[in-house]
Amino acid sequence: MSSPALADRPPARRPSAAWLAVGAFLVWSVEEAGVSPGALFSAESARGLSRLLRGLLPLDLSPDFLAVVGGAVLRTVCIGLAGTALAVVLAVPLGLLATPTLFRPGTMAAGDGPLAWLLLGAHLVARALLRIFRAVPELLWALLFVVAVGLGPRAGALALAVSYAGVLGRVYADLLEDVDPGPAEMLAASGARRAPVVLFALVPQALPGLLGYTVYSLECAIRSAAVLGFVGAGGIGQELQLSMRLFEYGQVSTLLLALLGVMLAGEAVSGLMRRATRSARAGGLPSAPRWLRLLAPAAVLGSLWGSDLLGRADVGLLRRMGRFAAQLLPPDLSPAFLRSLPVPLLQTLAVAGAGTLLGVLVGAALAPLASRGLMLRPRGAPGRADLGGVLAAAVHLGTRATLAVLRGIPEMLWVLVCIVAVGFGPFAGVLALGLHTGGVLGKLWAEALDEVGPGPLEVLDAAGASAAVRSLWGAWPQARPLVASYGLLRWEFNLRVSALVGFVGGGGLGLRLYNAVQLGFHQQVCTMVLLILGLVTLSDGLSSALRRSWLTSPGVRPEPGPGPIASRLSIAARGLSS
Amino acid sequence: MTFSLDGVRRRFLGRTGPVAALDGVSLEVAPGERVVVLGPSGAGKTTLFGILNTTVRPSEGQVRFEGEAVEALSRRSLRAVRRRIGTVFQQPRLVPSLTVLQNALLGRSGHWSTARALGAWIRPAREDRERVEAALESVGLLHRLGARADELSGGEQQRVAIARVLVQEPSAVLADEPFSSLDPALRDGMAELLLGVAARGRTLVAVMHDVGFALRHFPRVVGLRAGRIAFDLPSAQVTPESLERLYPRAAPGTPARKGGDAADVLACAR
Repeated sequence: MSSPALADRPPARRPSAAWLAVGAFLVWSVEEAGVSPGALFSAESARGLSRLLRGLLPLDLSPDFLAVVGGAVLRTVCIGLAGTALAVVLAVPLGLLATPTLFRPGTMAAGDGPLAWLLLGAHLVARALLRIFRAVPELLWALLFVVAVGLGPRAGALALAVSYAGVLGRVYADLLEDVDPGPAEMLAASGARRAPVVLFALVPQALPGLLGYTVYSLECAIRSAAVLGFVGAGGIGQELQLSMRLFEYGQVSTLLLALLGVMLAGEAVSGLMRRATRSARAGGLPSAPRWLRLLAPAAVLGSLWGSDLLGRADVGLLRRMGRFAAQLLPPDLSPAFLRSLPVPLLQTLAVAGAGTLLGVLVGAALAPLASRGLMLRPRGAPGRADLGGVLAAAVHLGTRATLAVLRGIPEMLWVLVCIVAVGFGPFAGVLALGLHTGGVLGKLWAEALDEVGPGPLEVLDAAGASAAVRSLWGAWPQARPLVASYGLLRWEFNLRVSALVGFVGGGGLGLRLYNAVQLGFHQQVCTMVLLILGLVTLSDGLSSALRRSWLTSPGVRPEPGPGPIASRLSIAARGLSS
Repeated sequence: MTFSLDGVRRRFLGRTGPVAALDGVSLEVAPGERVVVLGPSGAGKTTLFGILNTTVRPSEGQVRFEGEAVEALSRRSLRAVRRRIGTVFQQPRLVPSLTVLQNALLGRSGHWSTARALGAWIRPAREDRERVEAALESVGLLHRLGARADELSGGEQQRVAIARVLVQEPSAVLADEPFSSLDPALRDGMAELLLGVAARGRTLVAVMHDVGFALRHFPRVVGLRAGRIAFDLPSAQVTPESLERLYPRAAPGTPARKGGDAADVLACAR
């Protein structure tokens, strides 16, 4: 058949080398991580899981235990709040120093002479420091601080302070960089020095973003605080870990409910703060209402005290941290130790790869069911309600609830649950990562499907297409770039987590790291931290290159200014990697 | 009757309470008829359009398509009705990242099962593909078959949208201001295409702003004003007075409205 059309067919899409490499890596991951569905569906696993499920009820509501839970909740909130406050204190100077427009040669405010070079050096150091703060996972910071300052909320707050300072400092620098340069140039042209440029040109423009992101990270920090306890940094996580190990599943479910409550409360409070700071003066600069201005310092002071950072501020604390830092150096580079690293390192990579793959599969299966636009009949359309519609709505709600549970339970807790089913080892880590990732991706992807341009969907609807056809041909082609990017971001995130699931028995580098910490081999710890740092930096670089090549694929018209996808992504990236 | 509307009202919740977009519209359109709906902005044209293509539910009154009462239909039968109604929207509403061929193919989407839709991703069925090629040929875009929709110009995109309706092979075609996004030079060619779609005994209902064009090409004119039918006449009997009821003459000293001076428009059209 040689119709004229055939000659003009689009060239058949060949799988590119990059895709083949990704595919090969995933196959290898599944193999290497010891994924064995048989273990999951064995009689032994069923016994363990059914004991777990039966044990979850009734809740343990004895007064003694409730007092423990109350204390843990309070400590978790304190850790989150104190960590965020300290992070802001660290992030403001570092973020300013890291703002390129202020210090790079040739920019408006940069002078010349030796001082300018000195400042440029400080600028580069600040950026490198922020990068390190970000790249070391917060759970690893927590483990290090537990060694440095001892068990308890103090280590948690300090860990959050450092890792959130990395994120916040970078975001501050980006926001200050992205403002309209006009006012700053005007001030610089009239001879203003850096301080007035920052105070009167940059900060006023960036303020809504700066405040908004700070409030958002408070919410994230409280969520993180609940997890840090898995390495002994206080709060709900510590109690969860303990009850799980003691097979006290009734306590576990009480703690889970408390965790859920803390997360919801965190979201509610940060929403309240956002509204309060935003609505105060429409159009003008955000300003805090009086109650917030009075309450905030009190809350910060209280949380610092609650995380053991005020009451007995001893000089010994700093000295101990210094001594620990000195013990880390130099990193252990003896051949015997280095030779022992590749195996756990590869296992970590494999756990991240197979876990992300499982998460992608779970998310892809559930996302269409969780999409409002595809499952619920549009309001105002004619036709009578039928059983199919009711059923679809029920499935939709059920899926959303399932996704909330999947992502509401932190990875570290999923590891403990999966160990019950499949025993210690990398497979438990894969399952844990996969379930949590599936919950996150299912939600994000459902939102991506719901936020595509509505035009094509209306066309398909008007032509009588079914919901499945609408999602496949109308929503998916439009959501594809965002879907792919969310997947990549999750991979970056999972690599950080997979290095740590070994802390609680999920295989990989984490177990080695945990043992080295426990045994006091601090120079080995240093080597492994550097290794994780390098791995994370490498994978972030790779996937951001992939993402760029997708977002600027031929045929996509460049949009004026930061496109909706690009800006959504940068926000999501910050949110996901924090 | 292809469409029959009886006392259709549609209210929306406005800022100050319910607003009637359609306020008792009764209308019958016979098979093969060509009807144009005229009216100023806010007359309820788009709502009427939504009622006709069965995506908007009337608050009151009854809508029948080819004798079937739309309100009583199950989802499945409603889809069957929609398959028989082709729609050309104001904007082409193509899926930007798909090719011209794939976008035109979507005219068949109402007939697809999930499996067939998946199969069409990989390779469209032979008969679907032949239909698409024929349709693209008749809108003169066969040579752009493999181009991405967002690489096309606005006029080409609207032609793909028309090809999509051709592929659908509906018994009635609805067009909502199909040319308002195009520049005047393109309009006449596009009009021919649209009228061509309505040939072969298909019913055509178009909602339009352009009075002159409407009077030239459509034998029956329905005037809509404030959600009610102001007149329903053969186009030969449309008088300046009837048009003025739709587009009141601008008060002296104010610039003319978009509808222009009714008598002038009428003179131009004849």
